[in-house]
Amino acid sequence: MNKESGEIEETLIKEVAAILSMDQGSVGPEVPLHEMGLDSLGFVELLVVIEKTFKIRLMESGLTRNDFKTIRSLASKIRVMA
Amino acid sequence: MKISLPYSKNKRYLTGIDWIIHVLNYMTLKETGTGFMSQVILELHGKVDALQIESSLSAFMKKYPVLNGHTSRDFNLAPYWKIPAAGTGKISFEIIHLTNSHKEGASFDDVLTSLEKGINRPFRNRKEHVAFHLITKGGKSYVAMTFDHLVFDARNAEAFLNIFQKDWEGGEDSGNMTITEPAHLSMWMDKFKAGQRVNRAFLQIADRVPPRVLPLPPGKKIGFKFKILSFSREAAEAITENAFNKAGYLMLMPYALSASVSALHEIFAGRGFASGNYVIPVSIDTRKKEEVMRQVFFNNVSFFIFKVGADLAVRFPELLKSVKEQMYNQVKADLPGDICKASLLMRIAPLPLLGSLLKIYLKGQIASFSFSYVGETSYESSCFMDNKIINIFHMPRVPVPPGIGIFFQQSKENLNIILSYIDGMLTDEESGKIFDLLKSRLGVE
Repeated sequence: MNKESGEIEETLIKEVAAILSMDQGSVGPEVPLHEMGLDSLGFVELLVVIEKTFKIRLMESGLTRNDFKTIRSLASKIRVMA
Repeated sequence: MKISLPYSKNKRYLTGIDWIIHVLNYMTLKETGTGFMSQVILELHGKVDALQIESSLSAFMKKYPVLNGHTSRDFNLAPYWKIPAAGTGKISFEIIHLTNSHKEGASFDDVLTSLEKGINRPFRNRKEHVAFHLITKGGKSYVAMTFDHLVFDARNAEAFLNIFQKDWEGGEDSGNMTITEPAHLSMWMDKFKAGQRVNRAFLQIADRVPPRVLPLPPGKKIGFKFKILSFSREAAEAITENAFNKAGYLMLMPYALSASVSALHEIFAGRGFASGNYVIPVSIDTRKKEEVMRQVFFNNVSFFIFKVGADLAVRFPELLKSVKEQMYNQVKADLPGDICKASLLMRIAPLPLLGSLLKIYLKGQIASFSFSYVGETSYESSCFMDNKIINIFHMPRVPVPPGIGIFFQQSKENLNIILSYIDGMLTDEESGKIFDLLKSRLGVE
């Protein structure tokens, strides 16, 4: 993982922790988001934060599970698209 | 349990959302003779001790005088909930013993009929907001808590029963519960700006013609009918899998809403409706479980408002895309947050006036049907008293109008879909068809 992906991951961890009211330390980058308790609404909130932070609108991207399931895969997707 | 009441021991100001719920209650009461109530039902293994349940619930309810309150207005016109000094120990508790039917399939229908009687019965007076029903049938028991939406939303009702269970188990104090609410009589510009944004959002939803609605049956004393579809854990996982594949990762709510629009469209089309689109308010609760446990009383929901063109209702992929886009745009614009703020301004309006104002945007209508998706139960224990829980489901009376709604609700093991409608609004054939279509759209035929 390069420095850029690491920074994106850190941002996503912070946002997921805020949405789920969890400690950042409890948010694992490889844990599927639905297993952490994220639901449709929380996920859309995350996508909105991503648009505001990285200027990428992901809602129309198909939201395939492989790309969006974990913070790590999502960070990779953002890095490619940014 | 410690309840903090720093402002006044007998006064809890109502939020704008509470006031909207009051309006919906007023409208529903006016149309049907009974208010905006709901029922949460615990389906249990085995027989329960009726006397013990009644006495335990009575003792527990007495601790919460807020549940015997009523609405009033302050000198500054802010509406508030007047809380009596002491709770009543006398609760409504009805016991119904059903004998076993010879036909196994008919078994739940008998239970449902009894539950429908419970949810369609008005409370005894303006200070009663909760009633209980115990139904026994063969090796199962059903404990139903009928509640007034003026005092609980759906998750709060579950949380209240959860606190009862903890109390009954003699467990640890579940924390400080807050009943207080400020009067919200400041930051007016913030509220007016939110009001402008909500107004713009509603104008975008409004068309030249009213949305499609099913006509209310004649009469002023009409009850609600319910159909309940319970999916096992395996079937619920299959639905989730289909949602992830067809709508995208974690897009279960848009998938369920799209399936519901698609299913109901068939009924509207079968009735020969040719004009108008669909408008669907979706109630949402953004609180985490810990927050629910702190804010057990009153209403903590807000709303999305979806508009779906009738032409899209038959093209499922495009319907899904539209619903997802609308959800995204409303989250981005924080429409639910703006509705909370703007509704604080509405508290000045008397209920009949506000009821009429709500109908202005959609040419005399409010919505085509109601929808919600509650993905996480607030009831934590696997038992109620000593009995193991089989399922937890809700039977909400939908605000009238529209008088029809579809609700997805996750319990511990099951995914439940509840169709709630004014008696006479749908034929048995139509309500059966809605569930067949829903199963088909969700991919679990």
